[in-house]
Amino acid sequence: MERKLSKASRSLTSSAIQELSHLAQRCGAINLAEGFPDFPAPPHIKRAAVAAINADLNQYRHVQGICDQLAVMMKQNHGLDVNALTDFVICCGQSEAFAATILATIDQGDEVLLFDPAYETYESCIILAGGIPVNVPLEPPHWTLNVDKFMKSFTSRTKAVVLNSPHNPTGKVFSKEELEAIAAACCQMDCLAITDEVYEYITFDLQKHISLASLPKMQERTIITSSLSKTFSVTGWRIGWACAPTTIASAIKNIHVRITDSAPSPFQEAALAALQSPPGYFKSLKAEYEARRDFVIQMLSDVGFQISFKPQGSAFVFAELPKNWLVSDIEFVKVLIEKAGVAAVPGCGFFHGDIDDQNLRTRYVRFAFCKGSDTLNAAARKLQDIVGSTGHLQL
Amino acid sequence: MLLPSVINASPSATCETMLLRSSPSSSAFRYAARRISAVRMAATSTASEEKGASSVEKEQRNQLPSNPPPLQVAKRLEKFKTTIFTQMSMLAIKHGAINLGQGFPNFDGPEFVKEAAIQAIKEGKNQYARGYGVPELNSAIAARFKKDTGLEVDPEKEVTVTSGCTEAIAATMLGLINPGDEVIIFAPFYDSYEATLSMAGAKIKSITLHPPDFAVPVDELKSAITKDTRAIMINTPHNPTGKMFSREELELIASLCIENDVLVFTDEVYDKLAFEAEHICMASLPGMYERTVTMNSIGKTFSLTGWKIGWAIAPPHLTWGFRQAHSFLTFATSTPMQWAASVALKAPDTYFEELKRDYLMKKEILVEGLKAAGFIVYPSSGTYFVVVDHTPFGYENDVAFCEYLIREVGVVAIPTSVFYLDPEEGKNLVRFTFCKDEDTLRAAVKRMKERLHKR
Repeated sequence: MERKLSKASRSLTSSAIQELSHLAQRCGAINLAEGFPDFPAPPHIKRAAVAAINADLNQYRHVQGICDQLAVMMKQNHGLDVNALTDFVICCGQSEAFAATILATIDQGDEVLLFDPAYETYESCIILAGGIPVNVPLEPPHWTLNVDKFMKSFTSRTKAVVLNSPHNPTGKVFSKEELEAIAAACCQMDCLAITDEVYEYITFDLQKHISLASLPKMQERTIITSSLSKTFSVTGWRIGWACAPTTIASAIKNIHVRITDSAPSPFQEAALAALQSPPGYFKSLKAEYEARRDFVIQMLSDVGFQISFKPQGSAFVFAELPKNWLVSDIEFVKVLIEKAGVAAVPGCGFFHGDIDDQNLRTRYVRFAFCKGSDTLNAAARKLQDIVGSTGHLQL
Repeated sequence: MLLPSVINASPSATCETMLLRSSPSSSAFRYAARRISAVRMAATSTASEEKGASSVEKEQRNQLPSNPPPLQVAKRLEKFKTTIFTQMSMLAIKHGAINLGQGFPNFDGPEFVKEAAIQAIKEGKNQYARGYGVPELNSAIAARFKKDTGLEVDPEKEVTVTSGCTEAIAATMLGLINPGDEVIIFAPFYDSYEATLSMAGAKIKSITLHPPDFAVPVDELKSAITKDTRAIMINTPHNPTGKMFSREELELIASLCIENDVLVFTDEVYDKLAFEAEHICMASLPGMYERTVTMNSIGKTFSLTGWKIGWAIAPPHLTWGFRQAHSFLTFATSTPMQWAASVALKAPDTYFEELKRDYLMKKEILVEGLKAAGFIVYPSSGTYFVVVDHTPFGYENDVAFCEYLIREVGVVAIPTSVFYLDPEEGKNLVRFTFCKDEDTLRAAVKRMKERLHKR
C-alpha cells in the first residue's frame, strides 16, 4: 500500500521539515524548540550516579527502592495505595513504559482515544501494536474538553484512553471536572486509561496536578507512566516507570523484559536519590519554571503575540500566531530562524485529527522554556532586534 | 501532516525520529515491516479517524455501544510468563545458593570505562542523545567493526544505538518482520528471540542443534530455508551451548539465503569471548552485508551488563525500518553511557587479550569441576557458558535437576528446556556460566564435588 503514496506527497513533506532543521543548525539558532533543558542536572543526583558507578552497581539490576519510594509518593500526592512489590515496572524512560504498556494492552483492531493536539509518538506506538488511534480534538483557544464529542468517539472497539496532563504541546492541566468526565466515560465503557504524567511536578499558579487514577473507580483501570527526565533534568538517563494494577503491571513487565530487559543500573540508583529529594527541591522546580514561563510569555507578548492561553503546566507555550500575521506556522518558524536566530516548533505536527477550524492547524507555534536564563535572555534580545516600528515582529 | 525536525532532537518535537525526516528509498519501504509503513501512512494521511471507516462504522461511532468490552490483556502476551532466570534467581536467594545461572558477572567493568561515564555525567552530558546514537559512539562502533571485519560502514546511515542488544533484537523483529512472515531460529535459543518474534506475529521455524558438537544439521537446513523464508536468526558465539558457527556452516547458510532472498539477523554479543575458534561475522561473507543486521553490545565485553548500550549495523534499506521501531520503543539511549562506550570500544588489543585469558582460566576451573562432579560436559568454544548433560544423576528433567541442585547442593544452573520450542528437547541439558570471580567458581565446584549424588 505504501507504494501508492505519491512521490510528491512524500518529498514535499520531508523537504519542508528537513529544511527547517538544517536551517536552524546552519544559523546556529537559539533553540526554544527541543523539550529538554540546557541547564545542568541537580548536583546531588549526578553525585549519586557517579557514586553508583564507583560502587560497582553496573550489572543488570532492579532497584526495588525506587518502587518503594514511588509508592510513598503515590500515597502522599494522590492518596493512592499501591503495592511496591507488584505494581511498578521500571523502564528505559517514559517512552519505553508507554510502548510496553501499549504492547501489553492493545490488540489488532483495538481503538485508542487520544486528545489532539498530541505528542506524536502515542499514535505511532498504537499503530505499531496494531491498534487504531482515534483523535478527540481539544477546543481552542483554551483547549477545553468537549465532553459530547469525547463520548461520541467511543465505539465497541475502544480499549483505552490516553491522557497526557500536564499537556504537551499546549501546557494545559486537565481540570477536576474534565478528569471526572473522562473517568466516568472510562468506567461506563469499561476502558483502560493510560496516562503520561512526565510534567507532574511542573505546574503553575497553585494548579495541582491530579492523577486520573486517584478518581473513584479509576485505579483499577489506569496505567500511570512517568519518568525522572523532566522533574530532574536528566532526559538522557532513560529512567521511567509504569504503575498499574498487579495483573496489568505484570503484563507490562513481561513485555519490557523482552524489549530492553532493564533500565541503566547506575541511574536506577541515582533515581532513588532523586525521588528522595526534599520538598524544597520540588518547590524550587515549580518556582523556577513558573518564572521562565512568565518570562517567555512576556517575551512573546512584547513582539506582538496575544497569548490567550497561559500554560498551567509543562515546559511549553503553544502560541497562536496573531491574526494579522498571514504566514503559516512553518513559514513563521523559518523566518524566526533566519531573521532572529531563534528556533521553535511549528504546531501542525501535533494536530492529527479534525479540528473545527482547519486553518488553526497551521496557526500555532510551540516554544519551550526549559532553558537557562542566558538562553532565554538571548532569545528575547534577538526577537527584539527584528521588531519593527509597529512594535511587532517584521515578517 | 508536517512534522518538525530540529537539531538535537527531542521526543517532544518528535521530529528526529520522524518517518518524514528523510525520504526513504523504495527498498527501505519494501523491507520495513508493514506496521512501520502503517505508521508512516498515518502520519502523511490527510484523512482523520474516518479514514477507511465504512458508513456503518461511522454511524456506530455516534452511538454508545450497549455491551462494553471486558478488560483484557493483549493476546500477544498469552505465551509469556516470568522468565526462567527470575524464577531461578529467586529460588537461589532463598537457599543461599551460588549463582552460576544468570549470565552476568559478579565482578565489575574496567575503571577507564567507568571513569568515562562519570566524566560524561559531570560534564553535563545528561540530556537526550540523538535517537540513533551519539555521533562519537556511532563512529567508534564503525571503527571497531572495520577493525574486526574489514567492512567499512557509514556510522550515520548504517549504525543505530539501542538500549542493549535486547532492544536491538526487539527493534529488528518489530521493524522488519510482518505477521505471518516465516523466521528460522536455531534451538536452543536465547528466549527473547522467540518472544519478540511472537510479538511481531511471525511464524517461527526452529532447527535444533544437538550435542555433542551442536553442528548445524545440513539436510534439515537445506529443506528449511525456502522462498517462503523471510529471515534467519543466528547467535554466534552461541548462548547457551558455546558453539561457534564455523566458516563452512556460515557459507552454507549464506548461499541458501542468497538463493532464496532471505535476511539474516545476527546476535554477536559474545564475539570477544571466542576461545577455541575464530569469530566470523556473517555480514563479511560475500553477498551478505546487504541482507544482514549485525547486533552487538558492550555488556559482555566490558562486564557492564546493566548499562544497556547495544547497537545494530545494517545497510540503509534495513536500518530504516529498524530505526523506526527503535524510535517507538525507547526513542533514545542513555547519554553518559554512550560516551563511555565510545571510549571502551577504542580499548587497546591488550584489553581484549587479557579478557580472554581471564575467562579461559575461569572456564578451566568450571569445566574441570563439572567433569569431576560427574556431568557429561560438552565442549564450549565461546561465550561464558557451558552446557552439560545432567542425566547421570537420575533426575527426570532439567527443571527437576536444577531445583535439586539449588536446594541440596547450593548451586544454580539454568534448565535449558526453556530455550527450545519443544521443552522435551532440552530436558537433558543444563547451562552453567563462568562469568564469576575465581573464588565463587571454586566454591561452587567444591559444593558440587562434595554434595552431588546420583539418585
